[in-house]
Amino acid sequence: MSYAYLFKYIIIGDTGVGKSCLLLQFTDKRFQPVHDLTIGVEFGARMITIDGKQIKLQIWDTAGQESFRSITRSYYRGAAGALLVYDITRRDTFNHLTTWLEDARQHSNSNMVIMLIGNKSDLEARREVKKEEGEAFAREHGLIFMETSAKTAANVEEAFINTAKEIYQKIQDGVFDINNEANGIKIGPQHSPANQNMPSGGGGGNQGGNCC
Amino acid sequence: MDYFRNLLGTQPGDEQPSSHETIERLADRVQTSSLLEDRRDAVRALKSLSKKFRLEVGTLAMDILVKVLETDRGDAEIIGYTLDTLHHIMSNEPSEEDEMATPESVELGEQFTEIFIKQHENVGLLVSLLEEYDFHVRWPTVRLLTVLLTNRPKDLQECLLVIPMAVSKLMDLLSDSREIIRNDALLLLNQLTKGNANIQKIVAFENAFERILDIIVEEGVSDGGIVVEDCLLLLLSLLKNNTSNQNFFKEGSYIQRLTQFFELDNAESHNKQAGWSAQKVTNIHLMLQLVRTLVSPSSPQNQTVACQKVMNHCGLLQQLCAILMASGVPADVLTETINTVSEVIRGNQPNQEYFASVLAPSNPPRPAIVVLLMSMVNEKQPFVLRCAVLYCFQSFLFKNEVGQSQIIQTLLPTSADANTISAGQLLCGGLFSGDSLSNWFAAVAMLHAILGNTSQREQLLRVQLATSLGNPPVSLLQQCCNMLAQGVKLQTRVGLLMLLSSWLADCPVAVTHFLSNSANVPYLISQVSSSEGDELELIVQGLCAFLLGLCMVSNDDQNPSFTKASLKEIIQNRIGLEMFTDKLTSVGKNESYTRAAKKPHLHYKHPSEIVFDFEFTGLFKHLENEVLMAVSGAENMGLKAASRREHESIVENYKELIKEQDQKLNDMSQQVLALQSKHSAATATIEELRSQVQQLKDQNSLLKAQKGQTQGTANGTGVESLQREMQALSLQLKEKEEQVEKLKNELTVSEAKLLSQGGGGEGVKENGPTETALLQASLSRLNSDVEELKKQCTQKDTEITSLRSQLDNAQADLVQAQSSATDNQGSDSRVQELTGELQRMTEERKQLQERLTKSNQENLNLSNKIRVLEEGKEAEAAEKGVLREELDTLKKEQDDLLVLLADQDAKINKFKAKLKELGQEVEEDDDEEDFEDEDEDDA
Repeated sequence: MSYAYLFKYIIIGDTGVGKSCLLLQFTDKRFQPVHDLTIGVEFGARMITIDGKQIKLQIWDTAGQESFRSITRSYYRGAAGALLVYDITRRDTFNHLTTWLEDARQHSNSNMVIMLIGNKSDLEARREVKKEEGEAFAREHGLIFMETSAKTAANVEEAFINTAKEIYQKIQDGVFDINNEANGIKIGPQHSPANQNMPSGGGGGNQGGNCC
Repeated sequence: MDYFRNLLGTQPGDEQPSSHETIERLADRVQTSSLLEDRRDAVRALKSLSKKFRLEVGTLAMDILVKVLETDRGDAEIIGYTLDTLHHIMSNEPSEEDEMATPESVELGEQFTEIFIKQHENVGLLVSLLEEYDFHVRWPTVRLLTVLLTNRPKDLQECLLVIPMAVSKLMDLLSDSREIIRNDALLLLNQLTKGNANIQKIVAFENAFERILDIIVEEGVSDGGIVVEDCLLLLLSLLKNNTSNQNFFKEGSYIQRLTQFFELDNAESHNKQAGWSAQKVTNIHLMLQLVRTLVSPSSPQNQTVACQKVMNHCGLLQQLCAILMASGVPADVLTETINTVSEVIRGNQPNQEYFASVLAPSNPPRPAIVVLLMSMVNEKQPFVLRCAVLYCFQSFLFKNEVGQSQIIQTLLPTSADANTISAGQLLCGGLFSGDSLSNWFAAVAMLHAILGNTSQREQLLRVQLATSLGNPPVSLLQQCCNMLAQGVKLQTRVGLLMLLSSWLADCPVAVTHFLSNSANVPYLISQVSSSEGDELELIVQGLCAFLLGLCMVSNDDQNPSFTKASLKEIIQNRIGLEMFTDKLTSVGKNESYTRAAKKPHLHYKHPSEIVFDFEFTGLFKHLENEVLMAVSGAENMGLKAASRREHESIVENYKELIKEQDQKLNDMSQQVLALQSKHSAATATIEELRSQVQQLKDQNSLLKAQKGQTQGTANGTGVESLQREMQALSLQLKEKEEQVEKLKNELTVSEAKLLSQGGGGEGVKENGPTETALLQASLSRLNSDVEELKKQCTQKDTEITSLRSQLDNAQADLVQAQSSATDNQGSDSRVQELTGELQRMTEERKQLQERLTKSNQENLNLSNKIRVLEEGKEAEAAEKGVLREELDTLKKEQDDLLVLLADQDAKINKFKAKLKELGQEVEEDDDEEDFEDEDEDDA
């Protein structure tokens, strides 16, 4: 139950690209073939191990539909990682990546790690977006890239874990301010001896001042 | 300033028009004054009037006040006054001096709120004002937003969701170091999250659980004041009916943090027998509700089970049980704790086991279950507490076969221990006590002990009761029937009928037992066919019909006087189908039935409300149709009904089968896909093989053609390397042969020629006919070349002469043109043209002359070459030998190739075999013929 770090993730991307399926595959190791529209946001969690350390992932799976956009935007700020998903069999979902990325960059903290995911790699026959295109897009925008299949579970584990590795690395490099929970990172209960006497909810006077 | 003071001074007691005027004037001042001080004073004046004259200030000044918020943002004071004024206008809370809070005034706040938030920018403006750290701005903003949310929750929630980061900003208020703001933020968040799952989730995402739990601890947990209550209300609002948040709460390990909520110091509660403060009771109530929200039976089951598990692991269940057994706990808290424990253990075996092991600190220690049951059958205990105990007992037995058998065990004669009070004793005592509520509780409790458990139903049949001294013992079942027949209180009868129905359902042994007393069936018939009685009697009659029906459905015809058929006949003849159906269906239509069917928790305020049990309603619903079918159906219907369970299981099996088949189908379709791709690959291979076969055939025929020395020039285009090699070799061979042939021919020709020519040729002749011929041929070729060149030369000469004549003509033309040019300047261009032509011609001539000289030179070269060739003939003779050798090797190679061809043929055969295997047709005969042909040729 105890963990060294807790990372908050969000999953974003067009509707029907398989965001919820990715989460379900990752948390329950199941595949749900019927598209069940996500309403607003759903939550899932799992523990992983990186570098011998237990890391808890809390994942918010957002609705892809435009009508929920204002709701899902509220989740960008507090996330340490984002999985930006498109569907390799639907070119339009790839074309919308720029919009998603702009949205994410605008509302999130600048250190958020974004992993670009081309999902449904099992449907090779219906592929509309080449792997190279995804790679190129990721390279151009400084994202990590992977093709996954929530159906066959190919690369699903890796996608979530590699994102966590990247965040972990950023923590090691001192890029993330781990004491600010608004970054979507929390140190586990037994790992924060320095913060023992600083209750996180207490906050000093100055904290109230810069809360906006 | 005096002006205002006068106004304000005269204000109280003044009539309406004057106040209207004043407000108008003040509003005007706010709008037009260029001095900040003036505006500020005017707003302050408006503020002081706004409580009393809400309508006027609202209608006259609201827009102007909103403008102030936009333009005077730099001045915290005026913003603060403005916000306060707006707050007064919107707020429906009666102020201290306000004697009446009329319905109109309530509507007023709502209307102004509606007007205010119609402009979405206004809300955005308020949210942006939260960024101001100044207390005079932030605090009134929070309060105003709270009022707006209270008045128009839905609209404002939607509005706030659209504003970027609005919810996050509101959440940030919880971190404000100033308690007032933090506490008001709690109220604001309570309003904000009410009934809006999306906002609840966002708030949770913004670490609300963590922060709220921190505040609760900071404030002293259950001993804390109203702030703790607000916190708990907010937690409840975030978790109630929000599975996603519940999951997050569990995954965030916040359940573990609830444990400290219930660390009630036992010693302390002993000391202060006076009891708990009202606030503490409220807080504990809310905390218990919080726990119940997480394990609610109406939540998704996996969610509930997961939470129950955590609660056991982290010691929360243990703590709750401790409260259960502690002294000095107020009754209502105790009741709610029992309800909470019920839901924590409901359907979760480890938790149920733990609960069974809890001992009360009595002397001697008794199991908690026993102590609780004692309360249940004790009519002096509060009604709600007794309900809670039954709920707890039910939850303990829910999906718990071990627990069921443990309870039934205590009723059986073998294990009866006179010294200790057992659950079974208490239940029997309750069942036959004079208190009808106890009867009902005990009957329902026993119902749950045999629910869905056939073996316990049969076990319970063994229970014998000692009646008065001297009389033989009576079975429990018969005793229940006897009581029923005595026509005791309604609640008792309903309880007993429910118990009997669950007992007899699907238990033929119990039915036989029941029928063995010949008085039972007539009693039921009399009840069902009775037409008198109020609504409650109707319930009893309906239940009797149900029981009678069950006697038929689960009848295994062991009792000769009441077989399935005879019972059916009795029902149809004595009661009448219509009457029976009416009575039976009336049960399900009863209001108390629907109420009980809603949820397992017994939520009753008064004992008279209690009629049905939740689990019984499920059983009834399940079997009602079966009974109806059995009673009303054709001859075979009864059989059908009896075997319905079987059918259901069959259907279940089929469902499983279908699921399996679905799975298989999926697998198969994938296999089909794989096979299809394999198939296409195979076809491709076949195609390839076919073309190979074709190639090999071509090669074969080619070889045959070569074998037969025919001049066939088989064009092996695009064939495999082998064939190409072959062809190349055969071509080479042919060339060589042709060369040889040609040389022979030429030799004869040159021999003939040499006879007529000079002696030089004779030497050649001796050396070998071929070389001579070759040389001769090239010689003659060269001669003819020379001849041709000579011809060309003469041609050129004639050309030159013709050109010369042309030139002359041209010159003549030129002279003419020049002469005409003098006459006519316009013909200049023609002159130029002619001059150009002339030059071109001259050049051409030069070129021709050059060519001529070149030709002459070439001629010379060729004569030289002849000489060289003549010299080379000796070398040619040597080469001839070499060529012969080469010819031999080629022949050998040809033999080798034939061998290779045989190999290829073997391969073709193999391929053919493969093709046949793959189901492809092969032109067998052709090929074999070819093969045989070849063999013959070889031979």
